[in-house]
Amino acid sequence: MALPLPPGLTQNEVAFLAEMEMVTVVPRQRLDSIDLLGGKTPQLRPPHRAQLPLWLALLLKKQRRANIVPPAWMHPASLAEIIHRETKEDPEAFSAPPPPPSRALYSQPGTARRLNHHASYLDDFTQSQQDSQQQQQQQQQQQQQDPNSILSPPFLPSNVAESPAGYLPYHWLEVAEALLTHAGDDMPAPAGEVRSLLRDLVEVRAAKMRSSTSALEGFGDAWLTLRGVGAMELAENRAFLAGLVDGVRKIGASAEATRREEEEEARRGGEYGGDGDEDSDEDMGL
Amino acid sequence: MDIDDILREVDPISHQIPQETRDLQDLTRAWVAERSTPELLPWPSNGLFERINDKIKRQIERVEEMTGDMDPKTNFALIVIQTELERYKYLVRSFLRSRIAKIDKHLLHYISNDTLRTRMSQIEEAYARRHQLLLHNHYLNSFLGTFPPAMQNLNDTAGNISMIDNPDLDSAVFIRLLKDAEIECHGVDVDGVLTGKEGDIVILRWSDAKALVEKGDAELV
Repeated sequence: MALPLPPGLTQNEVAFLAEMEMVTVVPRQRLDSIDLLGGKTPQLRPPHRAQLPLWLALLLKKQRRANIVPPAWMHPASLAEIIHRETKEDPEAFSAPPPPPSRALYSQPGTARRLNHHASYLDDFTQSQQDSQQQQQQQQQQQQQDPNSILSPPFLPSNVAESPAGYLPYHWLEVAEALLTHAGDDMPAPAGEVRSLLRDLVEVRAAKMRSSTSALEGFGDAWLTLRGVGAMELAENRAFLAGLVDGVRKIGASAEATRREEEEEARRGGEYGGDGDEDSDEDMGL
Repeated sequence: MDIDDILREVDPISHQIPQETRDLQDLTRAWVAERSTPELLPWPSNGLFERINDKIKRQIERVEEMTGDMDPKTNFALIVIQTELERYKYLVRSFLRSRIAKIDKHLLHYISNDTLRTRMSQIEEAYARRHQLLLHNHYLNSFLGTFPPAMQNLNDTAGNISMIDNPDLDSAVFIRLLKDAEIECHGVDVDGVLTGKEGDIVILRWSDAKALVEKGDAELV
């Protein structure tokens, strides 16, 4: 009954997560809204675009009920730009993750606000219509309900048609693979071209992942920032990286304990005044 | 559906995140966290699982009702509903199973300590106690019973060495920062403060990451 898997998500589990990413579809048939556990699906009316989770979009695609609009970052021009950035501009780090989405405000024309933020759970339209007291109450209520519900991938709209080009989302490899396999005919370019660009990208980034272990050395083998890394790349290297960090820690455990004791002593010495030793000597003399 | 619903749907200004999405995000986050950390995390106290279980029950009832009429139009909706239901159930099941795996691994550690015990739900605690009871009785029957009575316990702390196994809280985990934060990291040779930006993915010790994750400034990936 207990789960026999080691800690950390496996590749299959990551692929499962990636299927929750939202993608844009162009329906070919009408379909009424379906009341799902994760919220109602939008009503599908061709040719209006709609956003659906990837698993549902693939189901509709397989039954020829809809076409999938590939995200902008999967366009060959965007992929070539990312490869250029990964190889020429910054050959050390992964390219940056997509910027957090923002929206214009109705109540304050001309102002933009981060979509994915605590305060933005308050609908700014209703906000503008309510008096301030009610507003505050509602805000407090919202915050009490959900102190930490900031959305993160796969719930950020980073694979829909209007997501920015030139940024690889967290689940890039899984989404691209799924779209190329099941919706190759919806691609903006021949699927082979996109696939070969993606393969280049995978290789460039795999080399960076391998060299990241030498960066780890510089940080005392204990912590490392991998900004912009993808979920599948992480899942592939998780056991190796975690094993490395844990292994180094276990080998150096006694050295670390000694160092910590010394530091503790030095700090205690510092607290009682810098020349504590001299004082005690004088005391002895008296 | 009336005109208001249609307007709300195409309305670019109302972008409140619906409760269902938030529940799914919380469930997913709880699942990923439970799958990644070396120790058992506190049972979600905000009624998330009660709400989710209710919803799953209602959805199953709906599926049962819908299987009655075989209209081809609703048939497809039924397939979608069932697919989603299975995905949802998988998340819940995997979450619970990974918790059971952790409880099984360090049974006595979690039942012997009062603060750790509160991390389990009532059912989990009952399970853990019963499991420990069966296990201990089995040991007693098979070999422990022949030992002197003083040596028949499984929680001896004689000689300053506890028999109870602890999970390794310094294991490496991967987190994503949800806000800019400064993280105090402990290393073998040096300790340091890492200035992290929102969206950074960091590998570090769970003991260093724990406070951030509990505050909601970071999540496990």
